[in-house]
Amino acid sequence: MGASSKRKKDKQKDFQKPKLKVGKTKAKPDNYTDTSFKSKAIVLTQQSLHLAAPTANAVFTHNLSLLNAKSDSQRRESLAYLTTTISSRPVNSPLPQPVSVILPSLLPLILDGSTSVRTQLLKLLRTLPPGDVEDHVAQLLPYVRAGMTHLAADIRSSAVEILSWMVEAAGESTVSCAGGWIKTLNCFLSVLGWHTEESSQWSSSRASFGKSGSQGKPMVKTLGTLAKFLDAGIGNPSISGVDSEMSGDDESPDWPFPLCQTAQHMISDSSTPFAYLNLFGKPRDEEGEMYETREDRYRVFSTRFQSAIERGIKSAREEGGELGRASSGVTKVLKEAIAYGPGP
Amino acid sequence: MVKRKLGALEKVEADLPNLQHKIRRDPKSYIEDFRAQHYQYESHREIFMAAPTSATDTGLISLRDLIDFISHVADCYPGICKDFPQQLIDMLMQHHLVLETELREKLVGSLALLKKKDLIDSAKLLHTLFPILISTPSKTLRALLFQKILSELRTANAKTTNHKLNRTMQTVLFNLVTSDRTSAKGLWAIKITRELWKRQIWTEAKAVEIMKEAALSQNEKVIIGGVRFFLGGDKEREELEDEDSEEEVSVGQVKHQLTINKKTRKKARVAEKAIKAVRNKERKKGNPNPLNFSALHLLHDPQGFADNMFFKHLQNSKSKLNLEQKLQVLQLVSRLVGLHKLHIMPLYSYFQKYLTPRQPSVTSFLASLAQASHDLVPPDVLEPLIQKIANEFVSEASAGEVATAGLNAIREICARQPLAIDETLLQDLVMYKKSKDKGVMMASKGLLSLYRDVGAQMLKKRDRGKEASMSLRAGERPERRYGQQEAGEIEGLELLAKWKDEERRKKNIENGLPSDAEDNEEENDEADWAAWNVEEDEDSDVDGEWINVEEDVDIVLSDSEDEGKPASKKAKQDEETKKDTEKEAEKPIDFMKLATTRILTPADLAKLTELRAQAAAEATLPGNKGRVAAPWTSRHTDDPLTAGEIEGLAALSAARATREERIAHAKEGKTEHMSKEARRKERKVEQGKSSTNKEKARKKNFLMTLGKARSKNKRSLVETRAVLRAHVDRGKRGGRRGNVGQ
Repeated sequence: MGASSKRKKDKQKDFQKPKLKVGKTKAKPDNYTDTSFKSKAIVLTQQSLHLAAPTANAVFTHNLSLLNAKSDSQRRESLAYLTTTISSRPVNSPLPQPVSVILPSLLPLILDGSTSVRTQLLKLLRTLPPGDVEDHVAQLLPYVRAGMTHLAADIRSSAVEILSWMVEAAGESTVSCAGGWIKTLNCFLSVLGWHTEESSQWSSSRASFGKSGSQGKPMVKTLGTLAKFLDAGIGNPSISGVDSEMSGDDESPDWPFPLCQTAQHMISDSSTPFAYLNLFGKPRDEEGEMYETREDRYRVFSTRFQSAIERGIKSAREEGGELGRASSGVTKVLKEAIAYGPGP
Repeated sequence: MVKRKLGALEKVEADLPNLQHKIRRDPKSYIEDFRAQHYQYESHREIFMAAPTSATDTGLISLRDLIDFISHVADCYPGICKDFPQQLIDMLMQHHLVLETELREKLVGSLALLKKKDLIDSAKLLHTLFPILISTPSKTLRALLFQKILSELRTANAKTTNHKLNRTMQTVLFNLVTSDRTSAKGLWAIKITRELWKRQIWTEAKAVEIMKEAALSQNEKVIIGGVRFFLGGDKEREELEDEDSEEEVSVGQVKHQLTINKKTRKKARVAEKAIKAVRNKERKKGNPNPLNFSALHLLHDPQGFADNMFFKHLQNSKSKLNLEQKLQVLQLVSRLVGLHKLHIMPLYSYFQKYLTPRQPSVTSFLASLAQASHDLVPPDVLEPLIQKIANEFVSEASAGEVATAGLNAIREICARQPLAIDETLLQDLVMYKKSKDKGVMMASKGLLSLYRDVGAQMLKKRDRGKEASMSLRAGERPERRYGQQEAGEIEGLELLAKWKDEERRKKNIENGLPSDAEDNEEENDEADWAAWNVEEDEDSDVDGEWINVEEDVDIVLSDSEDEGKPASKKAKQDEETKKDTEKEAEKPIDFMKLATTRILTPADLAKLTELRAQAAAEATLPGNKGRVAAPWTSRHTDDPLTAGEIEGLAALSAARATREERIAHAKEGKTEHMSKEARRKERKVEQGKSSTNKEKARKKNFLMTLGKARSKNKRSLVETRAVLRAHVDRGKRGGRRGNVGQ
C-alpha cells in the first residue's frame, strides 16, 4: 500500500545517523533555539574597587542605603550594623550622620513585614539621642499611627512599642505636635477596640479581623503605653514633673537683677518655634491641630475621649488577670488627671 | 499556656480583599476594623502628602491598596467616609503631574467607582476629570480619562436624557473651544462631542454649536476636526446604528448549546444575557424611531457660518491650511450652500482659478462646485464657470478622463441649475455622445437625458426624443424661469388618490351601483375615521418589507412591446374593469384635492409608503415602459456629491484600463456561477458542518464496500425481510438513535 510504505520511509528517516563532514560545522538539531542577540552597547556596572578600606563614615552611609534592600536579612543586618556603630561611638561625639538624614530611611521600616527587622529597628531607635529625636516626632508619628492601625497584629504591637519609646524620649513634643493628640488617641481606641459602646463589649470584640491583637500580651503592652501617653499629655504636671521647667517662674536665676523675663526674648531652643502658626503647611482641621498646652489637651480629652476610655478601662478591669492589672495603671493616671482638672 | 489554634484566615497577615468581602456581607460587625483601616489610610495619606513626589511603597500595604479598599466599601460607612471623595479629588487635582502612574490610575478608577455608588454626583466627577484631561501630558492618563468621561456621560444619559448635566458639559466644551482659539485643546471638545453625537446621546443644536465654533477656530487640527464632523458625523451615526441592529445573538443556538455542553454558571449567564438582549431589541422595535436631525440642519445661522468659513479659511491669504484641508473646508461650505440655498457670490469666482485639468484633485473642486450650485444661484454667475469647464476639459484633444470629468461636472451643475448653460454650448456638448471613448459617451448621454427632462426645447429637434417632443408639442412643459418654485406636494400622493379611487369604484361595483357614481362622502369619511389607526397585521406587513409586485407585469424579457398576451388570459369581466380603470386614469385625478380637503390618517400614510415602495419596485422591473429614474432625481439632498461621481465612468475608458482591470470591473457585482453542489458545500462550510452520511457513503473506498455487497447477494429471504423491516422501523423511529426523547 502506498500510504504505509511512505510511513515506513518516514519512520526510518528518524533513525538515520546524520553524516558528519570534516571541515563543516555540525548540523543544528531540530529543537535548536537561537539565543544570540545584538546590542548597540554593552554596559558594565561600575565596581568601586579601592586599595584603601572605606572609612567608617562611608560604610555607615552605605548601610543606610541598604535599608530599603529587598531581602529581610539584608535590612536586618544593616540595622544591626547601624545600631552597633551608634551605640559604640565615644561618648559625646556626634552621630556619623545627623538624625535628619538617618530617619527618613528608617521610617518605612516601621511598617516592615518582617518581625526581626522591626525589633532591630526598635533597638536602633533606642540608641538615638533623645534630644535629637524631639525635633522629628512630627515625621515619625504618621508612620507609627499607620503601624498601630495596620491589619497585621505584629506590626500593630511593634508600632505600640515604638510609640512607647517616643513618649519616653520626647513625651512633650509627641503629644503636642500637629495631629499628635487626637489622631493618636483615636488610633489607641481603635487598637483596643474601645470606640463605641457595643464594640467594647466582649461579644463583638471577637469579631475583629485578622490576628486578634486584643488578646493577652499585646493588649497589656498597649494599655501600658496608653498610660504613659496620657500621663505625658494630661498628667498632673506637679507630680510627673513634665512641665516643671516651664511652670512659670519668671525670674530665671541665670539672669541677674535688672533683667527680667529675658528668657522670653531669647532665641528659642526648639528647632521649629513657630510651627504652631503653620505658615507653610496645609490648613489643618480639628484633628490635625496642635494642642500645645495641657489645658487644651485636657479640654479635648474630656469632651471626646474620656467616656470611651473609662468605659474601656471598666471592661478591662472586669476581665481581670494581667489585663486588669495593666488597666489599673491607666486608671491611676486618669484619676490624677481628672483630680488636677483643666489646669491651675 | 496552650497555643490557640488559628483559623486559616487569621493567619493571613494583611488581606484587604478578604476584609472587603466580609465587610460587604456584614458592615456593622466590622466597623472597628474598617475604622482602623481608615486611620491607616489617613496616616498613609499624611505621609504621602508630606512628600508626594518621593512616596515609596511602604511595607505590606500601599496607599493604592487602601484607596481601592475604602472606595469599594465606602457606601457601607457614609459617616466615616464623608471626606474621602474630596480627599481623592484633591490628591488627583494637585499632584496628578507627579503621581506614579498606577496610583494615578487607581485614583481615577476609584472616583468613577464612588460615582457609581452615588457618593459623588456626576457633575463633580466630570469637573474633576475634565480639567486634568486637557492639561495632563501623559498619554495613558488621557486615554483613561477620556474613556471614563465618555462612559460617565453615557451612563448618565442611559435611562433618560440628563439635560442638566449635558448642558453644563456642553457649556464647558463650548468655553474650551471659544476661550483660546489658537490652542489645540479644543480637540478634546471635538472628540467628546463627536463620540456622543455618534452614539446619539447628544443630538441637539448646542452640540452642533460647539462644532461650529471649532470649525471657526484658528488651529488647523481643531478646524479640520470640526469640518470633518459636519461632513461625516451623521454618516458615522447611521453606521453605528446599523451595526447595533446587525449584532445578533441567536437564542436558539445558545439554548441548544446549553443542552449539549457542560453546564456551568458562566454559560447560563451567557444564555441569560442573550435572551435579555433579544428581549430588549424586541421592545426597542416597538418604540418609535427617534427623529434625529443631521448636524447641517441643526445649524443656527448657516449663512453666517458659511460666510465666515469661506472668508476665514479659503479667501484669506493668511490661512495656514494645506490643499487637502482647504478642500475639506470647501466641501463643507459648498454643501451648506447647496443644502440651505445660501448666497455667497465670491465663492463662484473663487472656483474660477482652480478649474484646470492640471490642478491637483480637480474632481473634488468640480464636485464642490456642483454642490454649491442650486436653483437660486443667478445663471450668469455659473455660466462663465461652465464655459471655462467646457473650454478646459471638454475637447476632442483632451484625454477621455478629463472630458468625462468635465461633462459630468457640467451635468451635475445643470441638474441643480438648468438655466446655467446656453443652447449652443449644450448642443455642442451633446454631440460628444458619438464619442469613441465610453466614459465620454456615457457622460454626454447623461447630459442629454437630463435636458430631455428639464429643458427639451434647448436641444436640437432630433435629440429631443419621442416623449419630450410629444410633451413639448402638447405644451405640458412650460419653460422654467429663474427663481420659479414648485408648489409643495406630498410625494406619491397621486398614487394614493388613484388607489382610493379604485377602491371606491370596486365598492360601488359590489353594491351594484355604476362605477362612476359618487357615493355619499360622509359614509366614506366615517369608514376612514374608523380606520384611523393602522391595524397590527397591516403594520407588520409594512415592517416586513414585503412589496406587492403586480402579477400582470410582463417579466419575460421580450424586446417587442406588445402587451396582448397577458391580457388575453384574463377573464372577461376583469378586462372590463380594467378598461374602466384605464379610461378613468386618463382623466387627470385631482390629487391636490386630496391633500387640501382631507386629513391623512396614519392608515393612509402607511398605505402611501406601501404604494411608493411598490411603484419604485415596479419601475426597476425590465419591460417596464417608464424609464428608470435618473440618478440625479433619486439622490437625497443631504447626500454629498463625491469626486468619484464626477470621475464617473472614466475607468471605462478603453485605453486607460488594463485587461485585468476591465475583467475585474465587468465581474463587479456579478456573482460567480457555481453548481448546486458547490453552493451547498460552501453553505456547509459556512455553518461549520462536515459531510453528511450520504456523502461519506458515496466516497467510501470501493474495496471496503465489496464485502457487504457480496454478502447482500447471498442473503436468504428471511434475512432480507428482517433487514427491510429494520429499515422501515428505523425510519419510523427517526434514525438509529431515534428522536423520541428530544
